[in-house]
Amino acid sequence: MSLFSFLGTLEIGLIYGLVAIGVYLTFRILDFPDLTVDGSFTLGAAVTATLIVMGVNVLLATLAGTLAAACAGLVTAWLNLRFDILHLLASILTMTALYTINLRVMGKPNVALIMEPTILTPFEGIFGLPDMYMRVIFVAVCAVAGGLLVAWFLRTQYGLAMRAVGSNKRMAQANGIVVKQKVYAGLALSNGLVGLAGALFAQTNGFADSTMGIGTIVVGLAAVIIGQSLFASRSMYVIVLSCIVGSVLYRLAVSLALNADFLGFSASDLNLITAVLVALALIFPKLRKEWKAKQAARNEA
Amino acid sequence: MICCKDLHVTFNRGLPTEKLALRGIDLTIPMGEFVTVIGSNGAGKSTLLNTIAGDINSTKGQILFGDRDVTKLPATGRTADIARVFQDPLAGTCGDLTVEENMALAYGRGQKGRLSSALNSKMRKVFREQLSRLNLGLENRLESEMGLLSGGQRQSVSLLMSALQPSTILLLDEHTAALDPKTAALIMDITSQIIAEKQLTVMMVTHSMRQALDHGSRTIMLHEGKIIFDLAGEKRAGYEVKDLLNLFAQAKSDGEELDDDKLLLGA
Repeated sequence: MSLFSFLGTLEIGLIYGLVAIGVYLTFRILDFPDLTVDGSFTLGAAVTATLIVMGVNVLLATLAGTLAAACAGLVTAWLNLRFDILHLLASILTMTALYTINLRVMGKPNVALIMEPTILTPFEGIFGLPDMYMRVIFVAVCAVAGGLLVAWFLRTQYGLAMRAVGSNKRMAQANGIVVKQKVYAGLALSNGLVGLAGALFAQTNGFADSTMGIGTIVVGLAAVIIGQSLFASRSMYVIVLSCIVGSVLYRLAVSLALNADFLGFSASDLNLITAVLVALALIFPKLRKEWKAKQAARNEA
Repeated sequence: MICCKDLHVTFNRGLPTEKLALRGIDLTIPMGEFVTVIGSNGAGKSTLLNTIAGDINSTKGQILFGDRDVTKLPATGRTADIARVFQDPLAGTCGDLTVEENMALAYGRGQKGRLSSALNSKMRKVFREQLSRLNLGLENRLESEMGLLSGGQRQSVSLLMSALQPSTILLLDEHTAALDPKTAALIMDITSQIIAEKQLTVMMVTHSMRQALDHGSRTIMLHEGKIIFDLAGEKRAGYEVKDLLNLFAQAKSDGEELDDDKLLLGA
């Protein structure tokens, strides 16, 4: 792998680290499998790119993309909490609707940001650093700062209450926690992070595309699982940052698999590789448990 | 003080599966009284507790805490007054959180979740002190995951958690039923200590007639959603388990006769 493609992989891995943190919040903290992210990643990118092309300040555009994605999370939460639609299905409905909304936002299947100012523009040429390094450092700072904020949040009273809601609703309620409010907040935060990732992706890669969000959930889940299997810890800081590390490792693994000529993979094989990686990551802990139980039984006999 | 006036609860109202779970409960429990609640399965004991806690909405009637009408208040709005311990040892705690995190949740019961740190050294000190009362060595396991503790240990922690915040009412729903006799006795001991210390108004649902007579100062029996007897004072002091059983059998046969009448009238 060339240095250039290595840095590119690192950059995408770091951006998807924010997605992984969002997925961690819904899947692990709230126990709410949320597929909205496939749409909200694109929504963040589409809103931001469209506003930038319209001449809106890049920071405002990024913020707007993030908030739009957070609203998408609220819609999913509303469908589930108000009308008892199964969480998975509610999120699929929002995701499907978002596909159209994203096309409407952009007015066309994709928006290019070539020659437009982006959030990275002020940092170009800073300290004489080549752009490809600067971009990696910038997204690393964003991902780590986002991660630290989320970890801090999860350790506050409010965050602890959110974790209790995902773990035991009845207990949470008996302790005066308003369950629905925590689910709304969690989904907004999660999708907001994913939308921010989309907004950063659009600006670092120079485009927003209506299909860019496909498979976001699987990639995010892969990152969470890889990160958690590598760093078994109870510390919120370690757990959240391991999502970012997991995301980077996942990208590197995929990129190595695609680059290894003897494997004969092409770029179009990406989805199969992802699915197999995630499946393996899910299967492995289960097999290890069964294997250990068998071993213990043998030792007793 | 808890006051229920003509309390009715109907499940699946208007559907073929409609069930009258409570049919007119009138009950006044003065401050500091410890009431034990008995009755057969489906008599409405848990429904009564859950209705007072706000998990279940009453279809008719009124619930008052002191002179405050809480009938329309959701469960979360009543938690400043009510502490609860459930029958299922797993229900009162979060298995994914640590012992100290669970206790911190109870410590903040009835407060708005703030963006300040959920745990601090002052809280940990309180938690350690409380846990050491159990003599289970849990005071050294603040950072253990709750899911790693046994059912009895979890129930003990739930009980301590119920007393971390000042409250006036304690609702115990068969909280020793799922435990072995030794642990059950320990839990009952601590329950009595906490109740005496905090001077709580208590309702304890139990299946054990012995427990119902040994604890508290008043016993009520529910049958088919109604209070069929209410024992207190000297009369209760003279009661034995067999007397309760007799009363229970009598009530049951009375009830069945009533049902037969209903059938006759219906036909």
